[in-house]
Amino acid sequence: MKERPLVRRPLPLPLTGRDETAGQTVWSGTISFSLVAIPVHLVKAVEPGRVSFRLLHNTDYSPLLKRMVCPKDGKVVPPDEIVRGYEIGPDQYIQITDEELDSVSPERSRTIEIVEFIDMEEVDPIYYDHPYYLIPARGGEKAYLLLVEVMRRTHKAGLAKFVLGEREYLVAIKSTQGALSLITLHYSEEILPDADLVPDERGVEAGKKEGMKKIIGEMTADFEPDKYGDERRKKMLKLLKKIEKERTPVEAPAADGEAGEGPVDLIAALQESMRRMKRNR
Amino acid sequence: MRKASEVGGRPLSLSNLEKDLYPSYGFTKAEILEYYRRISPFILPHLKGRALTLKRYPNGVGEGFFFEKHCPSHRPSWVATAELPRHDGGEMTVCLVNDLPTLIWVGNLASIELHIPLARADSPQTPDCLVFDLDPGDQAGILECARVALILRDLLLPLRLEGFVKTSGQKGIHLYVPLNRKEATFADTKQFSKTVAEALQRNYPDLITAKMAKAERIKKVFINWSQNDASKTMVSVYSLRAREKPFVSSPISWGELEDLAGQGDPEKLFILPSAVLSRAEKGGDLFREVLVKKQRLPYS
Repeated sequence: MKERPLVRRPLPLPLTGRDETAGQTVWSGTISFSLVAIPVHLVKAVEPGRVSFRLLHNTDYSPLLKRMVCPKDGKVVPPDEIVRGYEIGPDQYIQITDEELDSVSPERSRTIEIVEFIDMEEVDPIYYDHPYYLIPARGGEKAYLLLVEVMRRTHKAGLAKFVLGEREYLVAIKSTQGALSLITLHYSEEILPDADLVPDERGVEAGKKEGMKKIIGEMTADFEPDKYGDERRKKMLKLLKKIEKERTPVEAPAADGEAGEGPVDLIAALQESMRRMKRNR
Repeated sequence: MRKASEVGGRPLSLSNLEKDLYPSYGFTKAEILEYYRRISPFILPHLKGRALTLKRYPNGVGEGFFFEKHCPSHRPSWVATAELPRHDGGEMTVCLVNDLPTLIWVGNLASIELHIPLARADSPQTPDCLVFDLDPGDQAGILECARVALILRDLLLPLRLEGFVKTSGQKGIHLYVPLNRKEATFADTKQFSKTVAEALQRNYPDLITAKMAKAERIKKVFINWSQNDASKTMVSVYSLRAREKPFVSSPISWGELEDLAGQGDPEKLFILPSAVLSRAEKGGDLFREVLVKKQRLPYS
């Protein structure tokens, strides 16, 4: 197979020993296979660029809260009255406790144990769930760079089972832009079958196929993601900047208890003083 | 263009002096610095020992601005600073404008507006005064603010509290009630100002609101009691404002305010640097009492 050119793109993080307390580290441990063990930190590889908004009450600009409400009486249900139910039929649930849930939760992984190496081209991107970077921890730099280089040249990816948070994931570890990336993969049972959605192949004329191939050939380009920006996000940020200059910000009132009803004596004195003022006018 | 200069014995490199920072009116950076130099005997006592928030307009008042709470790291070594606790538990270095060279240095950064908290940096939780920030809503203006200020004066006097007013330099009026007592707390000043604002809203529902919401403020004056907070800043007395013209947040006597409110000409409540200077140089600092008068909030 043809070796791919290495796309040089600056990584957002230095590839050197890293302080474990740094905020972006999601997990720390080692990658291991055979006799190799490389200490690494797992960090986020993407930050969705979505512009988010708070919902405010239009009368006093209080930021609104989400509350669990009982549909029967419309009242807020306190956390200690909330339990989990698994829906087995219309209005039928089996109740499950936190302890029961914990009993099936996997133990936190200390290592990412690569069980086999696969050809990355065999993994359809439909399996890709979420990308992370793996960066070397102190002392792991050399072995790390070696693995990056060899995986890049052979275009192989390591497959491993890995527990992150509450879930056990199937993950692929591959070489990306001079670093290791880790991609959590969907399990095959999560992939929806496409059989019923796509018409079958019979009836496609050979001539049409050639025509289509030609068009695609003409439109072929190198993948340069920098060419494409999130235009809506750009426009949104520009708009927000403009509004920020023109519009005085609204402020939420002080939260309850900070300055509630004033002292009764003061209210009475003010009231009395105002009665006099109005009389004298 | 940079010009090497010396102010109060300190070397200062002043830049872009000829730049017109109020292009629709015509007021250069040199004129801004000259205003701050001449007003310095009056403004410095009010800035002294307080964390300055710079509001910088590098390209003039029509263009963008940015706030700077941190004292710029490129500051000269002689600029006084203080360390203030931050919300996240860390500390932040702030500028204290304690002398003329610092005032001119700050002006040279195109910090046209000077904003300060109501407490000093060495006692950031102790307000020296209580403020009623009178802010007109849509279809209301400075004359309505003047009316509300006069009502407030008459309301506070029986409580044995004397207030002092300044124009905001924009459309509002700021009424300061000096306290100058180390027992004062923001919890008390906020509670007091809120109670007063709400009482006024009940009695003058067509003129006054104590609510922040824009829709509540149409044709009314919003008494912004929430400014009485350690985290908030007010534009300093004698600071220039970045409007189309270089209006000043200028102190004004109660007599003048009554006259001007009676004349019904809002223009006279927008005061330019030349008028501010001649008033101060002739009559002294009308806001002097705000720094020294000791008063106690009743019923708290």
